[in-house]
Amino acid sequence: MWKDQPYWNPVLETLPHEKIRDLQFRKFKNIFEWGYEKSKFHHTLYEKAGITPEDIRSFDDIRRIPTVEKSMMRDIQRIHPFPYGDALCVPLDEVVEFRQTSGTTGQPVYQPDTWQDWEWWSECWSYILWAQGYRPSDRVFIPFGYNVFVAFWAGHYAAEKIGAEIVPGGVLDTQSRILKIQELQCTAMMATPTYVLGMADTARKMGIDPSSLTVRKITCAGEPGASIPTTKKRMEEAWAAKVYDHAGATEIGAWCFECTAQSGGLHVNEAFFLVEIQDVETGEYIEEPGRRGKMIITALDRQAQPCIRFDSKDIIEWAPEPCSCGRTFRLINGGVIGRADDITKVKGVLLSPSAIEEVVRGLDGLGNEFEVIVDKEGDIDRITLKVEIIKGREGERKQIEANLKDQLRLKTNLGYILEFHDHGTLPRYDVKAKRFKDLRKH
Amino acid sequence: MNDTYDLRDIAAKIESLKKTALELRDLGENFPALYRNARRILAGVRMLEINISDISDLTDLEVS
Repeated sequence: MWKDQPYWNPVLETLPHEKIRDLQFRKFKNIFEWGYEKSKFHHTLYEKAGITPEDIRSFDDIRRIPTVEKSMMRDIQRIHPFPYGDALCVPLDEVVEFRQTSGTTGQPVYQPDTWQDWEWWSECWSYILWAQGYRPSDRVFIPFGYNVFVAFWAGHYAAEKIGAEIVPGGVLDTQSRILKIQELQCTAMMATPTYVLGMADTARKMGIDPSSLTVRKITCAGEPGASIPTTKKRMEEAWAAKVYDHAGATEIGAWCFECTAQSGGLHVNEAFFLVEIQDVETGEYIEEPGRRGKMIITALDRQAQPCIRFDSKDIIEWAPEPCSCGRTFRLINGGVIGRADDITKVKGVLLSPSAIEEVVRGLDGLGNEFEVIVDKEGDIDRITLKVEIIKGREGERKQIEANLKDQLRLKTNLGYILEFHDHGTLPRYDVKAKRFKDLRKH
Repeated sequence: MNDTYDLRDIAAKIESLKKTALELRDLGENFPALYRNARRILAGVRMLEINISDISDLTDLEVS
């Protein structure tokens, strides 16, 4: 029976890795040729580098192709053909979906998709949901804004495609969403880690224990939290649910996912994406496990505005062992570890915001929210960490502070100015949280 | 796992489906409901190709 099958695609997901590499290479050649012929932007970029489709004969040749950065996409948009500009590879009237990036790092990038691209998006997500145990018997609650941001749109259509029932929680407020989950006995949910924890808090304030609700699977996106063990644990305990991570981006697609084996890593969907890891300092390409670098990614089948060797700035590393689930898609260890533009040097030490999150969320007595501010006192870098003490635990502040200092020193090798705030007073976020602020002038 | 599926046979059926959908699309030149629905079917057919047809001949490929 197809519903009992553990893999969405039992052939592709168990293909020997050398065959996957063959497939990637052939598909890369196709998408490169597509971009070269259809997109003025890509054609110019490759022509300047002196590379044509005929030059691509090996993976080494692929590495000679210039990468594309988000800032380059910003520069070519908002001109003819409006609003996408020269990277558009199809006639404008074949575009059926508009989305845009969140604008966290600057002006938003517009993303056009044809209906085929949109089918592709939901196909990517079908691999994710099936691997996380979603089945037609699930009633899936999707509490997000249904707007210009891609967020869980493709998750919605994928849940539909695999045969699950969808409850769109669009414009409802958090309380109404919780009541709707309760009323309809929803079994699964998709949200950012921040919102999963925020919903749990709100439910408790309403006198509802979130673990008493029927949600048993939660798919997270938008932030690394679901791959940070302490944050995952908080979410799983709050909801009595399995929490799964996945990573995707508007201009890329949904490229990796955690499966029910929860092996501590995310599978890269290598049938749909070519992921390369590049050393940030040396530019060397990394094949071996356990060595971090930034991800260069190609979406192998996306057409309207192709994603070819996109410098995502996500920091990842290959996992040393394959997953016990039997998939041959490689794992990245601990999900997306950080961002090349987030991981910053403070007092000469590399600091990743997710390392701080792991410490804060791992300490009993602290709330879920925190804020990190890096600035300078004279010429010296200074880090301030603001945390909240859970109500009723204020008397233990000295002990909590000592534990926090020890753990931060251990995990990040840095000293902090610690500020303790009343529970509920630090900013709350519904979508992507902005808890890290670097105020230094570089 | 792969041995249980005759990928080439499935790919041939997908190709046949694509041919039919393309014919329907071409017949819909002045028939929006026919043209657009055939186009959407073709997008679905492409997903079948990605999942099956594109790998049906992988044994023939060799890349350095």
